[in-house]
Amino acid sequence: MPLDAIPVVVINTSENSLAADSGLTGNAPVLLREIAALAQRLLASDESSAIDLRALPLTPADLDWLRETLGQGQVVATLDAEGESTLSETVCPGVWWVTHHNEQGAVASEFIEVTYVPELLKAHPDDVKIGLEHLELLISDLS
Amino acid sequence: MQGPLIDSLARQGVTRRTFMKYCATLASMMALPPAAGRAMAEAMAAAPAATKRPSVIWLPFQECTGCTESITRSHSPTLEGLIFDAISLDYQETLMAAAGHQAEEALHAAMKENDGKYLLIVDGSIPLGLDGAYSCIAGKSNLETLKEVAKGAFAIVAMGSCAAFGGIPKANPNPTGAVSVSDIIKDKPIINIPGCPPIPVVMTGVLAHFLTFGSLPEMDNKGRPKAFYGETIHDRCYRRPFYDQGKFAKTFDDEGARNGWCLFELGCKGPVTYNACATVKWNGGTSWPVESGHGCLGCSEPDFWDAGGFYKALSMPADPLKFVSTAAVVGAVAGVAVSFANRGKKGAAKSAHETTTLADLEK
Repeated sequence: MPLDAIPVVVINTSENSLAADSGLTGNAPVLLREIAALAQRLLASDESSAIDLRALPLTPADLDWLRETLGQGQVVATLDAEGESTLSETVCPGVWWVTHHNEQGAVASEFIEVTYVPELLKAHPDDVKIGLEHLELLISDLS
Repeated sequence: MQGPLIDSLARQGVTRRTFMKYCATLASMMALPPAAGRAMAEAMAAAPAATKRPSVIWLPFQECTGCTESITRSHSPTLEGLIFDAISLDYQETLMAAAGHQAEEALHAAMKENDGKYLLIVDGSIPLGLDGAYSCIAGKSNLETLKEVAKGAFAIVAMGSCAAFGGIPKANPNPTGAVSVSDIIKDKPIINIPGCPPIPVVMTGVLAHFLTFGSLPEMDNKGRPKAFYGETIHDRCYRRPFYDQGKFAKTFDDEGARNGWCLFELGCKGPVTYNACATVKWNGGTSWPVESGHGCLGCSEPDFWDAGGFYKALSMPADPLKFVSTAAVVGAVAGVAVSFANRGKKGAAKSAHETTTLADLEK
């Protein structure tokens, strides 16, 4: 088959064309209002909520814009569980950016959580009990 | 959140937090609201431990083994894999060590022992031509085997587009007379998990649903679990905003394509294809067809092979007079324009080359 039988046509090869379109769709800024509403709900009724970023029509550029706009707060927690997860507070306290990676390092799911402390960070009472047993074991080994 | 599942996962070194993370991701894949992740985690953790692992019999018919390849690439050892350990896969020709009479014995032993309780997974279509002679195992036609094994199953999972809808074997002119499982079996619940191949986690997700709710998942009018097939590729596509703005790639290497614009005009079947690729992605979440720059083929829809050409844009019926509302007419006119553009492309290709093999392949 001759090469020019392949129906691929290069229309624009200029390097500038890539910069001309940033990939922003305008869908990210509206999310700020939703996050604000969720923060008001948290204050009013102690109710935590989350936004599934994978369920929304956002381009990678939109996500970058949102991440940059919300900024990085003081707390970053890393969870090592079948791939790394990061839970980092944005400059707005109570608004967390949660990214779950799988074992291959790809993003498996991504959320914005509006809560005082993400559920995933809290220790479960049953696990605390197991920890306590371990502590007692350590103490008994001392004597 | 506590229960037998958490305990058994803990024994395998899976922590509670890992499990919660898995549930959050699964809820996202199933297009459930984020809060559902926690509810699922609680329900799954509390699910009673089965005294015996449920038996699963997997029958391969007229297929390419792509579905099995897909499932076994489910990146073990992951949580899905561990939950898969909760079943007993008693017969799977590609994976089992036994062959010949031994394999058939295993099949019949599993059927006898778990009569009325086993889950039957079928991949591949069933040929009816020449009395089913096109595909036989152990001297029996697939039709005979399916009827025999389906009798004692409590439910059937039709894995992949061939088992669910007939798939590629059924493509025109369907030389073997291939049909789907649901064309033959009418008295058992059938869950269709179409795709060519289906996404591995959809299978394990359906299994997780069994553990969570103890019942078959809710299904759509084509027998597909709504959790994964409830929305179109287009609904959750990250290129969707460009469609809304009317920004389309016109060829596979123009400025639009480089900027990641919508692939609708290049024949993407995303708007009419129900599947979870846009969220779950492929190869361990690395990428998926649209992300790599190619439109969706619509492989989880019936007769996708004969749906009018992979590179032809979906278009409105070419009869604008039928539509009353202005919006519909505008849409139809756009559709006509697109189909004219396609015809024009084909014509141009024909006149430019003596042997237009690619254009001829395109229906």
